[in-house]
Amino acid sequence: MTVRRSFADLPAPLRSATVVALIYVFLVGVSSLETGIKIMGSDTQERLFSAAENPLAALSIGILGTVLVQSSSASTSVIVGLVASGALGVDDAVPMVMGANIGTTVTNTLVSLGHIRQSGEFRRAFAAATVHDFFNVLAVSILLPVELLTGVISSIAQGISERLVGASGTEWKSPVKAWVKEPVGWLQDFWGAVGLDGNPKGIVMVLTGLVIILLALTFITKTMRTLVADRVERSINAMLSRGGGMVALLLGIVITIAVQSSSITTSILIPLAGAGVITLRNAYPVTLGANVGTTITALLASLAASSPDSLTVALAHATFNVAGILVLYVIPLARDVPIRAAEKLADVAVERRTSAVAYVAFMFIVLPLIGVAVLG
Amino acid sequence: MVLAFFRSSSDDGGFDHIVAKAVSMLGDARHSFDLATLALLTEADPATVGKDIRDTDQRINQIELELRSDLVVHVSVQGTADIGSVLGFTLLLKKIERVGDQAKNILELSENGVDLAGRPEAARLLEERQVVSDLFLRTGALMRDPDVTDEEISAFADEVSAKADGLQERIDSFMTSDRPGHEVVPLAIYDRYVRRILANLVGIVRASSEPVPNAAEHTLGDDIDD
Repeated sequence: MTVRRSFADLPAPLRSATVVALIYVFLVGVSSLETGIKIMGSDTQERLFSAAENPLAALSIGILGTVLVQSSSASTSVIVGLVASGALGVDDAVPMVMGANIGTTVTNTLVSLGHIRQSGEFRRAFAAATVHDFFNVLAVSILLPVELLTGVISSIAQGISERLVGASGTEWKSPVKAWVKEPVGWLQDFWGAVGLDGNPKGIVMVLTGLVIILLALTFITKTMRTLVADRVERSINAMLSRGGGMVALLLGIVITIAVQSSSITTSILIPLAGAGVITLRNAYPVTLGANVGTTITALLASLAASSPDSLTVALAHATFNVAGILVLYVIPLARDVPIRAAEKLADVAVERRTSAVAYVAFMFIVLPLIGVAVLG
Repeated sequence: MVLAFFRSSSDDGGFDHIVAKAVSMLGDARHSFDLATLALLTEADPATVGKDIRDTDQRINQIELELRSDLVVHVSVQGTADIGSVLGFTLLLKKIERVGDQAKNILELSENGVDLAGRPEAARLLEERQVVSDLFLRTGALMRDPDVTDEEISAFADEVSAKADGLQERIDSFMTSDRPGHEVVPLAIYDRYVRRILANLVGIVRASSEPVPNAAEHTLGDDIDD
């Protein structure tokens, strides 16, 4: 039997060079964003980010921003850039990255709606998608109050960050930052040459950075997905024959790091769950691994930033996801809570299909909009 | 399973292991056919071979389930670019499973008391049995060959179709035969099962190269091959 040829068939050095080039472009985007915010000046920064001072509003912004770009990797990278510029504090950024975790689950929930016509298939697919939602919402419900009361997550992240790059408030001489300085300078010169200055130039630099981040991440994800598709397929087949558990969780981490997108990892699982190839209990740990794996992008973005705080936020994202697993997955009693909640919601969704659409709209759009409007 | 991610493999887009498993499934179906015909055409004890055939059948069904799961994983991970090949494999697996079922049907003939060992046709039937058994091997070889040409597939299909047509002529002749029913009916039923097996072997080879065959190529009545 013959199969299609693809990007994966290009010579290995060319493939590697493409990925490295895309990561470089991505880091240029993060640095452009940081530079743009810095150009704007402190008054504008204050006005722009005052809404994020309320943690629930920051959480809602994180959800909405991620739903908008359909990628927590992109939204957390932007948050890292904002923290690097000094416009956003670590305390305000932590609820935002928690929101990004919730927002990113919209993609696989939308994928599950594609199975809406067949009851059994839809029940399994929707449960596999929403188990990720329930885990993230429960993790935030438990860990955000703990963080607000004790600051434990940001303290752990700060501790690691200080050991790696120095104390908060200092300037970190990142070698990566030096590598991307030149193209960011060209962008600044370009926008200066077209007559922009001050806030307008800052806004355009921010927008340029956002576009570069989104495009670079899109291409990185597509390229990596093509490159590792066979490995992903092989490892999922191996997982299906041997069950889930912590190894499935590790597999979720590895696949997500490889494709730089938790949405891809979790969305692959939905048709498998719908077809009954993977059980909800075996899919669940893979989605948790995806949560951890996706934090690598923000860590990568923090390499292009000049402030240790940006690394602290990226590490806080990783710490939050690991803590969530420790609280909700490692403890056997808690492990079943998201699974049962997802099964119940799937039963309701099968009874009334419109409730599934209403759930997505309420959870990912209406509720965060209310959060921003009322608390921001 | 995490290590499976890092292991390098020459697997052609995830299909090589599917082809290998499908060929092994066909090997199992051939094993069942050989045993079932042995029970019917020789003095071999149907009870003895029966357990082996049923165990093999279970193994075929299990591999079929695994391969269906593998194909769903393939589409989920790789997208729909290979949908034609996936469709072909789905069809192919069904046909291999049917061959296994037809071998079981032949076994049931001998379990129901039919014994062709002492018949005048026994030697000829044993010779034909060997030819069909060899066709299983050739089918597997064509499945494994990534560079198989349309001409090779057509040549194989024509050869097998000619054999199937010969069986059909014999079945037709039994309809008007002067011989007693208890003699010709088991022979007609046996020939019918073998003809169905031949149809499925052609279907397997065709499905592996052309998932959605042209209607004009249904020379062996694929619609009734189950």
